[in-house]
Amino acid sequence: MPGRILIILFSAVGTVFFLGGTVGILRFPDLYSRLHPSTKCDTLGACSIIIALCLYSGLSADTLKLILIIFFLLLSSATCGHAIGRSAFKHDIVPWHKPGVKPLPFEGEEN
Amino acid sequence: MKKLFVILALAALGVVLLWVVGKMPEMGDSRTPDKTHVVPRYIEDGVKEAGAENLITDVILNYRGYDTMGEVAVIFSALCAVIALLDREKRGVSRSAVDASQVRSSRIVRVTVRILFPVIFLFAVYLILHGENSAGGGFQGGAVIGASIIVFTLVFTLIESTRDIPLTLRVILESLSVLTFLAVGFIGVFKGVEFLTYILPGLSPGVAGALRSQVFMMSIEIAIGVAVGAIFTSIVFAMIKEENFELEPHIPEP
Repeated sequence: MPGRILIILFSAVGTVFFLGGTVGILRFPDLYSRLHPSTKCDTLGACSIIIALCLYSGLSADTLKLILIIFFLLLSSATCGHAIGRSAFKHDIVPWHKPGVKPLPFEGEEN
Repeated sequence: MKKLFVILALAALGVVLLWVVGKMPEMGDSRTPDKTHVVPRYIEDGVKEAGAENLITDVILNYRGYDTMGEVAVIFSALCAVIALLDREKRGVSRSAVDASQVRSSRIVRVTVRILFPVIFLFAVYLILHGENSAGGGFQGGAVIGASIIVFTLVFTLIESTRDIPLTLRVILESLSVLTFLAVGFIGVFKGVEFLTYILPGLSPGVAGALRSQVFMMSIEIAIGVAVGAIFTSIVFAMIKEENFELEPHIPEP
């Protein structure tokens, strides 16, 4: 019974993060801020759901595969987010700022 | 007037299509011919007739062998079209646009790719070799091989990739799949049975016969995997824009 509660908890957490990530990608104004929710989806959202699956499937060969998936997911999606953000910064994509508010200084900008 | 005619024609076509859809049997109806004849035949005689434990492999490589061979040829002709339009990459003359950009891949990305690349490649080999008995297969494994080499090329440069996978090697690998398919298919013809038969007469249906047919299927799977990987790699290499490499000050896009 406590195992089932844990499974429900983990999958609920994952779902909430996926929902938040999706809404964030749709609603946030520019690349940098969208990068923030999209990486949460992959890391925390997917990983919690996979942990829930681990608990659900019990101890078997599948558990090892799921743990490997978590490992590679963490490694690749974090790197991917880093690469996208860095590339955008190096290509001088200026971060969004609220209209009427003085933007923070952006180093890539030339003026 | 012309517009009216188009609308009428489309409406007529739509009515015909909807009428046909209405005539179609319901999804999952068990009385249709494919459920009463095709599926039982596959399930009951598939392993005996085609020679692989996995029924999907039986269907793909034997019952629909021509279809699969056509797919292989389609991928090959896609490569031919790309090369006809874009030409091969010119090795050693220039460097890729990825490299010419001032954005060099960061150390984090390079280290991660260096860790992940062998693992991805290993997974591709697993997919190819395991395709005969479970999920996976030549096409999927080949696509993963291609993807891993594309990642490598984007992070390290084209010049590095072409050094490890030279053009002379790829030319051989690309045509491997169609040729192996034809070769294995013609073995059956020379033995006096249909084209693309893996269970040959004169072989007892025991362990040895199963082993022989498995060898044929496995060689086709491996050839498809290697060739699809090489073809994807060549297409991407041809598409990477090459320029003479000069470190100019980077001009930001407006």
